[in-house]
Amino acid sequence: MSLLTDEIRALIGREVSYTAPEELGRAAIRYYARAVGDDNPLYTDEAYARRHGYDGIIAPPTLICETNQYADLPPDADGYAGHDWHIDIPGTRKVRGGNTYTFHRPVRPGDVITATWRVTDVAERRTSGGQEMLIVSSVADYTDQEGRPLVTNEETIIYVALKEER
Amino acid sequence: MTEPTATGPTVTGPTVAVGAEVPPLERTIGLRDMIAYAGATWDWHRLHYDPEYLEERRLPAPVVDGQVFGALLVEQLQDWLGPRAVVRRLHFRFKNLVFAGDTVRCTGRVTAVDGDTVTVEQRIVVVDGDEPERAAVEPAGAEVVLRVPEER
Repeated sequence: MSLLTDEIRALIGREVSYTAPEELGRAAIRYYARAVGDDNPLYTDEAYARRHGYDGIIAPPTLICETNQYADLPPDADGYAGHDWHIDIPGTRKVRGGNTYTFHRPVRPGDVITATWRVTDVAERRTSGGQEMLIVSSVADYTDQEGRPLVTNEETIIYVALKEER
Repeated sequence: MTEPTATGPTVTGPTVAVGAEVPPLERTIGLRDMIAYAGATWDWHRLHYDPEYLEERRLPAPVVDGQVFGALLVEQLQDWLGPRAVVRRLHFRFKNLVFAGDTVRCTGRVTAVDGDTVTVEQRIVVVDGDEPERAAVEPAGAEVVLRVPEER
């Protein structure tokens, strides 16, 4: 049986947009850098950032690709409170494929971020072990309060068919 | 593309040439670090901390949020190249899950230099003493622009 049903195929082109209720903020930037363990002063030291050609501190590049704070959604049963297409395919396991980020300009504490997610493709493949899998490709465009691009995030999520035996 | 042996700007910092090794970045990711990352990214998925959830799915330990590896790959490059480096593009594919308490090592190598743009390939493995390395993230890599330093 094919995982690529008409219903799944119809996801292509689906789009959803989230705008943060507030500016990103300096605390969010410092917290992220600290959580990662990255002590780069560009993220926390205003004078250092200015000395190196920025208008002040910047966010670690991958921060806005990840944070759920602008989605502002309630947590689901698994505790997840971010963007999701809610694709439920019985008999499969969902795993992350990978990401490609393109950084258009550094993100600053005063930026109010909008994330627009779009499904770009769904494709059926087989794993090297012969299991069927479905690959869902999405792209997220992150923009600032003026609609200018910040980051593009291309993401693949894979649904692998579970083996019959338990 | 310039000559394959081209060398990028060397105004300050390390010499950046094709074949140059990016100094490895090693990090042990404990449950506390994972909790901090979950908080910083507003991601409270039970996969990253909840023993009950993990047991139901027969997972041996809390699973490290894969996106943290993007942050480590950027950190590895910026630790090496300093504040003049601007990462323009970063890609990575997940190979194997990484669990709480694992130590990961990011490695990398310069594959191209074109004017002020440096291309690197990177990889993240889980290291555990004498055990064979386990690939966590590969392939991975980045395009980095080296700005001419401007003093203000």
